[in-house]
Amino acid sequence: MNLGATIVRFRVAVILGLTLLCASLLVPGFLGATTLSLGLDRGATVGLIAIGMTVLLIARQIDLSVGSTFALAGIVAVMLQPSLGIWPAAMAGLIAGAAAGAINGLLVVTFKVNPLVATLATMLIFRSAAHWLTDSQPVPGTDIMLSVSLSKIHLGIFTLRSALFIGAVLLLHVWLTRTVAGRNLFAVGSNAEAAKASGISPGRTVFLGFIFAGLFAGLAGVLQSLTTNTGSPVFGSELLVAVIAAVVVGGTRIEGGRGSALGTLGGVLTIASLTTAMEFQSVPAYVQQVVAGCILILLVVLDRTVRPGPRSHAATGGTH
Amino acid sequence: MANWKRRLLVGTLALLASASWAQAKTVCYVTAADAHAYATPANEALEARAKELGIEMITLSQNFDVQTGTEQLGTCIARSVDGIILWPLDPQAYIPGLARAQQAGIPAILINSPMDSQANQFIKSFTGPDVYEEGEMAADSLNGALGGEGSVIIIAGQAGNGTTIGRVGGFVDRLAEIGSKVEVLDTVNADFDQQKALVVSRDLITRFGDKIDGVYANDDTMARGFIDAWKEANPGKPTPPIVGINGQKDAFASIKSGEMHSTIVQSPVEDGRLAIETIAEILDGKEVEARRPIPLTVVTSENVDSVEPAF
Repeated sequence: MNLGATIVRFRVAVILGLTLLCASLLVPGFLGATTLSLGLDRGATVGLIAIGMTVLLIARQIDLSVGSTFALAGIVAVMLQPSLGIWPAAMAGLIAGAAAGAINGLLVVTFKVNPLVATLATMLIFRSAAHWLTDSQPVPGTDIMLSVSLSKIHLGIFTLRSALFIGAVLLLHVWLTRTVAGRNLFAVGSNAEAAKASGISPGRTVFLGFIFAGLFAGLAGVLQSLTTNTGSPVFGSELLVAVIAAVVVGGTRIEGGRGSALGTLGGVLTIASLTTAMEFQSVPAYVQQVVAGCILILLVVLDRTVRPGPRSHAATGGTH
Repeated sequence: MANWKRRLLVGTLALLASASWAQAKTVCYVTAADAHAYATPANEALEARAKELGIEMITLSQNFDVQTGTEQLGTCIARSVDGIILWPLDPQAYIPGLARAQQAGIPAILINSPMDSQANQFIKSFTGPDVYEEGEMAADSLNGALGGEGSVIIIAGQAGNGTTIGRVGGFVDRLAEIGSKVEVLDTVNADFDQQKALVVSRDLITRFGDKIDGVYANDDTMARGFIDAWKEANPGKPTPPIVGINGQKDAFASIKSGEMHSTIVQSPVEDGRLAIETIAEILDGKEVEARRPIPLTVVTSENVDSVEPAF
């Protein structure tokens, strides 16, 4: 039981380890720095959005509009380049992302719309806005050389994007486990009424959570647009499922009240390394998704059938 | 002690060396999709020809998602392949990836769809149909069918896709160039998807009704979508002249039955084959032309029996 509980407690790490092990046996050179940096970089886009999604899921909310926010923020960042310059335009893209999150928050908190419905609606609205702004054409940025330099690899392993992701996920971990605000988030997610009774404002927490998620979706979108020198209305249309999968693989519950930043990091890395390993072996895309789906089910079933011991709570991110 | 270590090292190095000697040339192929009426036969032809040429293939499918494609380019580079064939779905987004490939000394070519001219410095060649010319040919065909005047709708492919841009641009530019009185009522995107084309066609037929004198669809799949919508809305009424592109079997059938006016045959088999042959020449150290087109044929009821459908 002890061993079983340990495995379940660190199930994400175990699965990630197994994935890396299998991949390194099957694919020559898989653990080389180039491959790792590549895996990290491709995980980073999903990962940055997953950071926001982790916070929302813990608070028992969800944001389906992240893929559309991603596209919209990227488009804003590219379209404003000629008039504002590259960095102010990127800033405007971030603000657009946060604003999109604020709209979601307003709908859910003030107008009491179910988050699934509210963000489904804004998903369609933001996506259409992206098409409308761009006339359904991709918009090229002003400086292609910037894109080339942004995708450079530093210290042998990090791109700007993947460094930001790792940094943000570690900060989130500290915030969730070491601060009062972080603990309040779990309280709101597991029982909003009780949280309210103990003096926490669930509405405010949820509203800020949506802004946070929008900001990170926007950040990922702006980085994507800068590294590809393109703002495109079709960007990010496949992201949502990958993001939710990564967060859930990481042990965060859709039902709220449970989750962790390090779990999300593990989930993102697992999915990224799986994809990369299977691509290296030329496995068709649909088989890849079957494998990813099976791992998702396996982890969730493990989570349900074997209850971790009482001491594991804090380490996996506080459960009550 | 040090001796066996050295022996082990030498043995390992020898093993590594022999492994790399024995390896065939590997080419990474980032394709548009792996289950698609046009892309699938192109992929199959490309892989079959690669086998004949003794080239090992890594085929990655973007499933029409540009972001996936840009990441897959990274996979190709990390895998240190000998060459890259990219099917671009966006005129710009792949440029940083192509630049990294060039830094890594991996030659890259484009198949099927063009990119912006800024990409030219990073690619060795672009093989595939001249989509702009296809647009022009479609304009001539539809203009002829309408006797030089009328109003038409354009059912375009995926927004921002080079093929869509070329096929729509060539069409519109050609109409202006020959001073045609054919007027475009609306251009809508249906993503090269029959189902989406059916839905947008229903809307267009409701909106414009009898004002639609002709239809230009960016591919035959979408032309089929329009025909189905027209039959729903106007049972028994003959369709207006419809011009498609690709030269699919069912388009040939539609031309024979009079439901379609014309299509342009563009063979996916030749498309795929030309790409792998071109990269093979590059790997052999030969210089290749920057642009290698595949032949195009306009098919109407007059020559439908004598031309082979593309797929």
